[in-house]
Amino acid sequence: MSGIMGYFYNLVVFPGGLFALAVGMFFAGIDRKIYARMQRRVGPPIYQPIIDLIKLMHKETLIPRTSNQKAFRLAPLAGFAGMLVLVTCIPVPGVFQGIGQLDNLLLILYILAIPAIALMVGASSSGSPFGAVGVSREMVMTIAYEVPLIIVILTIGIKAGNASGVLADFSLKSIISLQKETGSILSDITMVPAFIAFLCCIPGTLGAVPFDIPEAETEIAEGPILEYSGISLGLFKLTGWLKMFAVSALATVLFYPVPYGSHWLLSVFLFILKCLFTILISVTLVRATMARMRIDQAYKFYLRIPTGLALLSLVLTIFHVHV
Amino acid sequence: MSSFLKIILQNLIKGPSTEKYPFGDTFEPAGLRGKLRFNAEACIACGTCEHVCAGGAIRITEAEDCSGLNMVIWHNSCCYCGLCQFFCPTKAIRHTIDYHTAHKQEDKFNYAERGFIKTVPCSRCGKQIVPAAQELLEQAGNSSDEIKDLLSMCEKCRQKETVIRGALRNV
Amino acid sequence: MRNVMKNIVQKSPWIYRINAGSCNGCDVEMATAALIPRYDVERLGCKYCGSPKHADIVLISGPVTEVVKDKVLRVFNEIPYPKVVVAVGICPISGGVFRDSYAARNTLDSLIQVDVNVPGCPPRPQAIIDGIAKALEIWKTML
Repeated sequence: MSGIMGYFYNLVVFPGGLFALAVGMFFAGIDRKIYARMQRRVGPPIYQPIIDLIKLMHKETLIPRTSNQKAFRLAPLAGFAGMLVLVTCIPVPGVFQGIGQLDNLLLILYILAIPAIALMVGASSSGSPFGAVGVSREMVMTIAYEVPLIIVILTIGIKAGNASGVLADFSLKSIISLQKETGSILSDITMVPAFIAFLCCIPGTLGAVPFDIPEAETEIAEGPILEYSGISLGLFKLTGWLKMFAVSALATVLFYPVPYGSHWLLSVFLFILKCLFTILISVTLVRATMARMRIDQAYKFYLRIPTGLALLSLVLTIFHVHV
Repeated sequence: MSSFLKIILQNLIKGPSTEKYPFGDTFEPAGLRGKLRFNAEACIACGTCEHVCAGGAIRITEAEDCSGLNMVIWHNSCCYCGLCQFFCPTKAIRHTIDYHTAHKQEDKFNYAERGFIKTVPCSRCGKQIVPAAQELLEQAGNSSDEIKDLLSMCEKCRQKETVIRGALRNV
Repeated sequence: MRNVMKNIVQKSPWIYRINAGSCNGCDVEMATAALIPRYDVERLGCKYCGSPKHADIVLISGPVTEVVKDKVLRVFNEIPYPKVVVAVGICPISGGVFRDSYAARNTLDSLIQVDVNVPGCPPRPQAIIDGIAKALEIWKTML
């Protein structure tokens, strides 16, 4: 399969579209189940996200009179589309190489911001004061977690660039091939702080509990998605599930793409297992042990600990490479 | 966070502690104040329960054909405080441990405990009176034939009769 | 097919609470029904949501006081159809101990269509779960 049809297949079936959605929903279900088990509850069934989605399709969609209709309707769609492109870009080691020009980490970082921006646009067009509060918090959060994320990506780029003889190489393909030769990046002790910084960024990106400040449902009534109902809300949920897959897949690709199996089925299975491990460590465990932070605490946290760790890794890597 | 990790590990090992309630069994503590049960046989229609009821859930009205009194306890207004049970002299009104109170809107006004207290005519003048319950006599402790005879009369006849009997005894 | 859909959809009721001047007794029991591992309504697919626009089942407690009446109606009207209303506690059902007060002149069902009543002061968490189960039956017929 090649050309337009190939891209279409990548967008709709694998690794974007259906595959990413199924895996993302599975992760969300597992996350809720394990979270419940950690609190000694039974918890919802693992297929609960699918039921939620079908339910949301059956609900009435309300559009507030004070809202900007076009922006309000299109924002969830824009976020979903952006996320769909992002999951198409992410390679599955051993199975899918990634699409030629699109396997660039910087590009992925840009696209990762689209759902957050769509959420901001949708919320601020809804005309709800809670939405406005949510938007301002979402902005602060985005600024906070982007900084360590960029430094981590820069570190990995420099490391990959060293192998291929350039200053910095942000191609996912070369990052995977580097680790295929020399083993996982994590075997190098200087990359461990960067990995921890990346794990700290995951709950912020997903809006999970210690950093769910923009969508604090007990404080500002779900903030940005307050005015959304029915299928628009379903689209936001879909975007969230895709994001869950995308971020965990990114962690897998960047830090431990190896080992992968010889058969494609085994490779996919190992890939999903690694992603699930990332989600359980960085989202579920943290969600069960911590309470929601205040926005200033979260901001300070991101600019101190993850940024510090990532900077440490960066300096060590530069030192290691150029001296 | 580290202390929580220990708890989480314990919880994961212990497994869920959830009751299977809507599909299975649950427990009821012995002192639970659930839906009220009314025993018309034991009631002496003193009206104390109606008077003390905080939620105004209890109503005692006379039946249209004057053959007795209607007792209605509307669960939808009962605040389960237990005052009626506390003050009822014959314990005719009791809390059960049944707490299954959820019902649909169409049953709202029928969701009540009802009872009918039969009245009997006074053995002297024929006025309708509420007969004394067995429980009341047991509390009084003395249930001689003389008292039983007096109990079949209405208030006024009883006064007269007592005065006459007392007078006769003194003579 | 439609029946299958109905059966699937009724496994995801999202719950929203409205406090219509309640003393917080019923609210505590509702929170208990949701949060405490012994009762755990989440295994029925329920989720407490913060926004009225996401809700399917509305739990209303409190005697609908004059001050809060208009606000309750306003929030209630923001909930998309199909929605099921559960009155929790005796206050919204009959006024309870606040009946005939100058501050609580309406019962809930004189203002909006109520589907299920769960009397109690407050009702046990099990009774609230019962009420949610009954509400689910009604919700199924609305879909």
